[in-house]
This record gives sequence, C-alpha cells and structure tokens, in this order.
Amino acid sequence: MDMQQPDPLSTTFAALADPTRRAILARLAQGEASVTELSAPFDMSQPAISKHLRVLERAGLIERGRLAQWRPRRLKAGPLRDIADWVGQYRRHWEESFERLDTYLRDLQEREQRSGDDDDRDTNRPG
Amino acid sequence: MTATRIDRGSTATTTIYSEGGDLVFERTFDAPRELVWKAFTDPERIPRWWGPKGSTTTVAEMDVRPGGKWRYESSAPHRDDVAFYGEYLEVTPPEGFKWTFMFDVGGVGPQGGPETFRFEDVDGKTKVTSIGHMGSPEIIEGALATGMVGGAIETWDRLEALLAEG
Repeated sequence: MDMQQPDPLSTTFAALADPTRRAILARLAQGEASVTELSAPFDMSQPAISKHLRVLERAGLIERGRLAQWRPRRLKAGPLRDIADWVGQYRRHWEESFERLDTYLRDLQEREQRSGDDDDRDTNRPG
Repeated sequence: MTATRIDRGSTATTTIYSEGGDLVFERTFDAPRELVWKAFTDPERIPRWWGPKGSTTTVAEMDVRPGGKWRYESSAPHRDDVAFYGEYLEVTPPEGFKWTFMFDVGGVGPQGGPETFRFEDVDGKTKVTSIGHMGSPEIIEGALATGMVGGAIETWDRLEALLAEG
C-alpha cells in the first residue's frame, strides 16, 4: 500500500480551505437547510453547490436529514470541535506560556540580583 | 512563491501572524539569551512556565540533542491530561532549536508538526520566535475559519445537553 490514509483532521482542514464551503457551514450553524436554500446566496449552480456539500459530507462536517423529500443538511459538531480544540489549544498554549515565561524570567532575574551569584545550581547540568 | 504575512490577532505583547504554511509567534523578553535558552531546555525549568494558565506540566522525558526525544505531560482542572511529545531535530545553543511538536486531542490521533524556536539577542533582551510549520496556507485558513462556527457549535452543544436532561 503506497496510498497514505489522510488523518481525519487533514481531511477536515482540506474541506474548510474553500471559502464557499466555510460560508455554507456558517449558514448551517444557524440551523439545517435544503440544497436550494444553501445555494441561494451564491452565484452558483445547484450541482456546483452539491459538489461542495459532498466534500463537506465526506469530511464528516455535515450530514443529511432523514426526511425523504428535501433531505436538509445539518452540521455535525465533532470534527469542527476537534479542530477548534486543536488550533485553540496551540494558540492558547503559546500565548499563555509566553506570558508565564515572561513572569518567570523577571522573577528569576530579580532573585539573582538579590542573592548575588551564589545560587548557581544550573552548572550541575552538563550542557 | 512569495508568502504574505497575515496578522492573526497579535496582542499587546505578542505578534502573531501566518506566512505561507507557518504560524508565527514573536515576543521579546527582558532577559539575556542564555537565560531564555535554559528556560526552554532545562527540564527543571520547564514546569515553571510551560502550558496555559492554571495548568501543571511534568517533564517525563527530555533529551536535548538531535534525535533525542521529549515528552511533557500537562494537566489542568476541567480537562483530560494532554501529552506533548516529539523529537529534537536541530539543537544550536543558544540560538535556537527545532523539534517536532505533537499532541493528542480528543482521540483524533496525534496532531502537530515541526516547530522552530529562534532566540535573538536584541540589546540585552531576547526576541523569541516560534514558528509552527503547519504545512500549507490552506490548513491555517481552514483552522482559523473554525473560530467562525465554533461559537455556534458550542451553543448547539449546550442546547443538546439541556435537551438531553429533559
């Protein structure tokens, strides 16, 4: 097997890379909608919109309702939450870590200034 | 291909931007570079600052040399423990290092990628640049776009929970 299985998050990211698909998701975040309703704001044919919907569906971002007639699309929260968690965590991690590092470095230097150079346990560690 | 810098919500202290497939954080610390280097590479110092506010970090493994592994475990109230881990790729004291930065979120499997840290001496202060190599601009666009729908999703989740309670 030389085909690499894309990880779920990459599939989600790829689906989200397109502005039309993001707009569709934003619309669906307000509630379920039919294909006709979804294509209304776009200067796009219904088949073109359906193609975008298929990509979103394959990425697990939306699902079809069971109503036989108009099959409304609706959001599936799972993958979006995973992504929001991932990026949110990454961003928050560095923003807040940098904040703490700043405080730590300040404390450290103040303490060193107060106690002179006698506190030097760092030299115990080989470089 | 020239990549454009796009601001990604810089704060008063930290510049955050994307450039191509990289997500970059820049901040200048009022401390000499040697001290910053130690803060990032001494296992005794990591727990003093690593991780978001209110979290506690334990260094499980930290072998600071090319090919060496690292693993930090982060715990915080109201969430499951998260393990950050990876491998050192380049180590150039005190100028910087490059490692892989991986973590697991919600059972979707390991996520992350290479990350570069640069420490520059600027008149006795140290400018720290962290560069997350996310792969492609599309990934960053897609990732940041979720902020737009994230709020709605959370509201839906709360509604769902409320409805489940009956």
